[in-house]
Amino acid sequence: MSNQIFSVLGLFDSAQQLMDAIPVVKPKVKARLDAYTPYPIHGMEEALGLRKSPVGGMVFVMGLIGAIATMAFELWTEGMDYPMVTAGKPAFSWQAFVPIMFEVTVLFACFTSGLGMLFLLNRLPFFRHPMLHSKSMPLITRDKFALAVEADGQALDVDAITALLRAAGARTIEVLEQPAPLGLISPNFLFRVVAGIAVSCFVAGYLTYWGVKLFPVAIPMVHMLDQPRLDPQREDNFFKDGFGMRMPVAGTVARGRIPFTIRKQDDASILMNPLPRTDDVLKKGRQEFTIYCSVCHGILGNGVPSLTAAYGAKPANLVSQQFRDYPDGKIYYTIVMGKNAMPSYAADLSEDERWSVVHYVRVLQRAMNAKDTDIPKETRK
Amino acid sequence: MNSETFPLPQDMLPEALKTPPVTIGPVSPASLDEQVLAPVERKPPLAWFIAFACTSAVMLLGISLIGYTIATGIGVWGNNIPVAWAFDIINFVFWIGIGHAGTLISAILLLFRARWRNAVSRFAEAMTIFAVMVAGLFPLIHVGRPWLAFWLMPYPNQRGIWPNFRSPLIWDVFAVSTYFSVSLLFWYLGLVPDLASLRDRTKSKLRKFFYAMLSVGWRGSASHWRHFERAYLIIAGIATGLVLSVHSVVSFDFAVSLVPGWHMTIFPPYFVTGAIFAGFAMVVMAMVMVRTTMKLENLITMYHLEVMNKIILTCSCLMGYAYLMEGFTAWYSMNKFIHHTFWQYIAGDYRVECWLTIVCNIVIPQLFWVRRFRRNYFTMILVALAVTTGMWFERFVIIVSSLHQDYMPSAWFIYKPTLVDLGILAGSFGLFFTLVLIFARVLPVIATTEMKSVLPGAQPRHAGGSLE
Amino acid sequence: MSESGTTRVLAIGAAAGLAGAAATGFVSGWDRFWANWNLWFLFLLTIGLGCLFIVALEHVVGAKWSVPLRRVPERLASLAPLMGLAALLALVSLPVLYPWTIPKNLKDPAIGDKAVWLNVPFFAIRVVACVCLWMLAYRLFVSGSIRQDDDKDPRFNVRARRFAPVFMIIFGITITVVAFDWISSLEPAWYSDVFGVYVFAGTFLAGLAATTLAVLYLKARGRLPGVEPDHLYNLGGFMFAFIVFWAYIGFAQYLLMWYANMPEEVFWYRERLQGGWGTLVLALAIFHFFVPFLVLIPRGAKSATRGLYWIATLMLLAHWIDFYWMIFPVLGKGLIFGWPELSFAAFFVSTGLLWIRRAMTRGADMPVGDPFLREGLEFRL
Repeated sequence: MSNQIFSVLGLFDSAQQLMDAIPVVKPKVKARLDAYTPYPIHGMEEALGLRKSPVGGMVFVMGLIGAIATMAFELWTEGMDYPMVTAGKPAFSWQAFVPIMFEVTVLFACFTSGLGMLFLLNRLPFFRHPMLHSKSMPLITRDKFALAVEADGQALDVDAITALLRAAGARTIEVLEQPAPLGLISPNFLFRVVAGIAVSCFVAGYLTYWGVKLFPVAIPMVHMLDQPRLDPQREDNFFKDGFGMRMPVAGTVARGRIPFTIRKQDDASILMNPLPRTDDVLKKGRQEFTIYCSVCHGILGNGVPSLTAAYGAKPANLVSQQFRDYPDGKIYYTIVMGKNAMPSYAADLSEDERWSVVHYVRVLQRAMNAKDTDIPKETRK
Repeated sequence: MNSETFPLPQDMLPEALKTPPVTIGPVSPASLDEQVLAPVERKPPLAWFIAFACTSAVMLLGISLIGYTIATGIGVWGNNIPVAWAFDIINFVFWIGIGHAGTLISAILLLFRARWRNAVSRFAEAMTIFAVMVAGLFPLIHVGRPWLAFWLMPYPNQRGIWPNFRSPLIWDVFAVSTYFSVSLLFWYLGLVPDLASLRDRTKSKLRKFFYAMLSVGWRGSASHWRHFERAYLIIAGIATGLVLSVHSVVSFDFAVSLVPGWHMTIFPPYFVTGAIFAGFAMVVMAMVMVRTTMKLENLITMYHLEVMNKIILTCSCLMGYAYLMEGFTAWYSMNKFIHHTFWQYIAGDYRVECWLTIVCNIVIPQLFWVRRFRRNYFTMILVALAVTTGMWFERFVIIVSSLHQDYMPSAWFIYKPTLVDLGILAGSFGLFFTLVLIFARVLPVIATTEMKSVLPGAQPRHAGGSLE
Repeated sequence: MSESGTTRVLAIGAAAGLAGAAATGFVSGWDRFWANWNLWFLFLLTIGLGCLFIVALEHVVGAKWSVPLRRVPERLASLAPLMGLAALLALVSLPVLYPWTIPKNLKDPAIGDKAVWLNVPFFAIRVVACVCLWMLAYRLFVSGSIRQDDDKDPRFNVRARRFAPVFMIIFGITITVVAFDWISSLEPAWYSDVFGVYVFAGTFLAGLAATTLAVLYLKARGRLPGVEPDHLYNLGGFMFAFIVFWAYIGFAQYLLMWYANMPEEVFWYRERLQGGWGTLVLALAIFHFFVPFLVLIPRGAKSATRGLYWIATLMLLAHWIDFYWMIFPVLGKGLIFGWPELSFAAFFVSTGLLWIRRAMTRGADMPVGDPFLREGLEFRL
């Protein structure tokens, strides 16, 4: 099968000759013209009627996007997402964000210019162009200048064009043929670009994930985790028993704690209630009693609990004569040390709170055993 | 009023006004390819192997010391409170500075359409990339846990926190990585047509595959060139702003602080000028090396070296202005802490380093007022070495001398570097020059495509002027 | 309007302005008089110096594209000697506006300890020295160039190229002295070592804007035949670059002082950011940077006559606002703009334009004696 003609090249020895030839050839051919030169020739764009390059516009737009996006990002991260005051600067300190905004703008602009030019506008890399396999290419990259009449899908009258190029001053003529089609692997440019970007993103993401996950725990980075120090909840061979966490030394007292050294309830009788019987103290006592004591001893202190479930133990009737005879200290002792099924309430009530509960128990005892003469004359019925 | 033009033939002009040619002797695109592309295809001379062996040895020493530092801890350096920053940051600022000359030559001179730029731009741009790579090592290794350096990047994490975007150290991360990426991109784009040339010249199938891959199928089509030129020019324009911003951001590391001697508003332009200064010194040294060893005297002419030396002289005068302003403003501020710091600079524990800086940066380059010294290898290399040394010590004075005696006398401290510090500094030079040697072996040291486009007769008439 | 008609209008404007300016002193106060005087003489001085700098820069780099245009900044540089005279007259403002002239302020160590630098005799010596150096440079560059019109001697170029680097050093130091002495010492406790660079950036930009405006003016009247949009593109490009440079220096100074937040530095900004001054600085940022930056980005904009005309005018206005914003807050009267300011505007603008119009008659419109004139006219991008 005969291959179609791709283009007809005319080679010239100098840029001047090429520029002189273009106005001779261009009006007489309908096909597209292109020139191949070892370096850019001034005035070539106009001579061939090529459109001005849109690189400038692309760069401006991307630069603007870069500037706005970066400033917005900086303002968001440092002003809203996790505002931090550093060196007394306000959260939205735009002045300090300008340098990075400038740099990223430059980055966006330059990469748009360079890579946009290569990939988008020139559609490079592209290795299947017939010029790359022609005899003229090495001459062109050295010092020759070529004018190409490109078929671009239509049929070319090779002989007429050859004659025209020779008349315009071309030394050598070369005819390039269309390359054989690739078949399955389509050289579709856009597909390649999108696929390339997708693959790069996937690979980059995968590598980043694993890199960030594994790198800090690889040797020698992991050495900083492995330090000669005592870690909490770890064994340690420094101590004979191998325990890292040690008990406090015997006799250690918690800060702010005054030890309760009485061990028998009767000995507690000597304790005196330090709090006065004021309204505030009694109110506090009532509050604490209601919260902690009334569950079992009843809201009236009479041993009728508010517990509805069967509990087994029978709470003491605090308003009975037995407990009316108890000195304050014994009641205090019971709160601190507990009795029988009653646990210690030392952790729940501070010292003052305990004494105020004792006062309130006394109030309940008086109230539940009141005589008529205890009621004021005015309210007596 | 009329405006007659007065054409004076070139030979009637006084010597001082004649425009020197950019190339010496007959140079054609084909001869250019032979001179510049052919060495890439040949085996390098013995001298290259010897040089490579030396630089690699020094580099390996540096790398092993870096490994020792990471495994053991920063304590093996001389840093200690209050001199928390020393060789690490000095080297960082020094190497970033060296990179700036490359971008200036590549980008800014492209905008000015300076003809002499093309012979040196490729090499200078490569030097930028290598210098930034070497510089980037130091912030990485000077943190206690380099393996966690990725925390500096803003990514959503389970801790729910972000990097502190208000901190100049984070500005540095963005500025240096942007500078590296953009320089790499710019350098690579310029290389694409040259790689296409190499692809078409080479006989080896393996090389052809690699060059073809790297040159992404470049075929020199005019429709591609117009996009290419536009993109290249735009990146050059933006890179100019990038050069200013990167070293300004590096200077912000110091200038936003309250350390006396550091918080001077002139730091941004002062650092940028210093960077260009040091960078050009390195470029001059490299160019002398390249033109003699690779026999490129007809392409990298004495005119190129002279212009670069004039730039070094200009920067030296600007540095003199900056030092003058620093000193005057320090006095003018009437701040007794700043007075003390500046007095310490010139008469304190590090006065030797300070005066070395002044002599190397301001005094020695003044030799370049004399034309003969601008065109003489010995003086050129002398001045370039002096400038490199002076600029390194300038950073030393700024960082160490300011820190070692700031507000609280109880925290004053004499800093001494350890052998590990010195070894890593030497290793950084080794790494840099190793990369440069590899570059010279593998890629064309002159941008042949760009040079071809400015040879006489390269462009058609009435299309193409130049600034000079 | 005819030539003499314009001259008459300008002369009337100057006279009316002078009358109004003089009245300001008696009616509104001598501080307001001298604030206006200093603002205007600095404004025009920096335009003149900026143009002189442009001329010297062209000689230093040996630029050829700018040769056809060089006569324009040379003529505009004549503003510098005239304003040097105004500077000498402004020495009278020292006791009125400058706190360090008042003996009781010297008790403050932040001011008093500087007296070895900030004292009237030394200040006057500095002013005289600067003016002399500028006049020397003017003679060498401008008078020499005009003389070359007749004798066509290329040795002028050699002399100019040799002296230009030295002038750069002189310029750098004198513009810093102007900035520190006339503007910064209005508040003698404040210090910023980049201030000289800041004023230099504004100066160069003002010189470029004035040059561009004058070039467009002359070109519209056909007095610059052969000057193409390509030349205008370079002027536009330089303006673009230095708009960015000015903004960079201005922002860097602000950012550093904002960040460190030291009271002895920040008070200067605090005064200039509150109330009306804050709005003005926003206008400054927009009209001195954002608008011209965005307008000049597209390639075509840098050589478009109408666009450049508006941008150059805007830059000069913005330069005036810059100085107004730096100087007027010391009056403590807020944002004031009334008939005193308009009178001074009339006086200085008219006088300046009369002076420039006279300068436009010296020598040819292009440096016809320069050996590189033809190459310059042949310059194309």
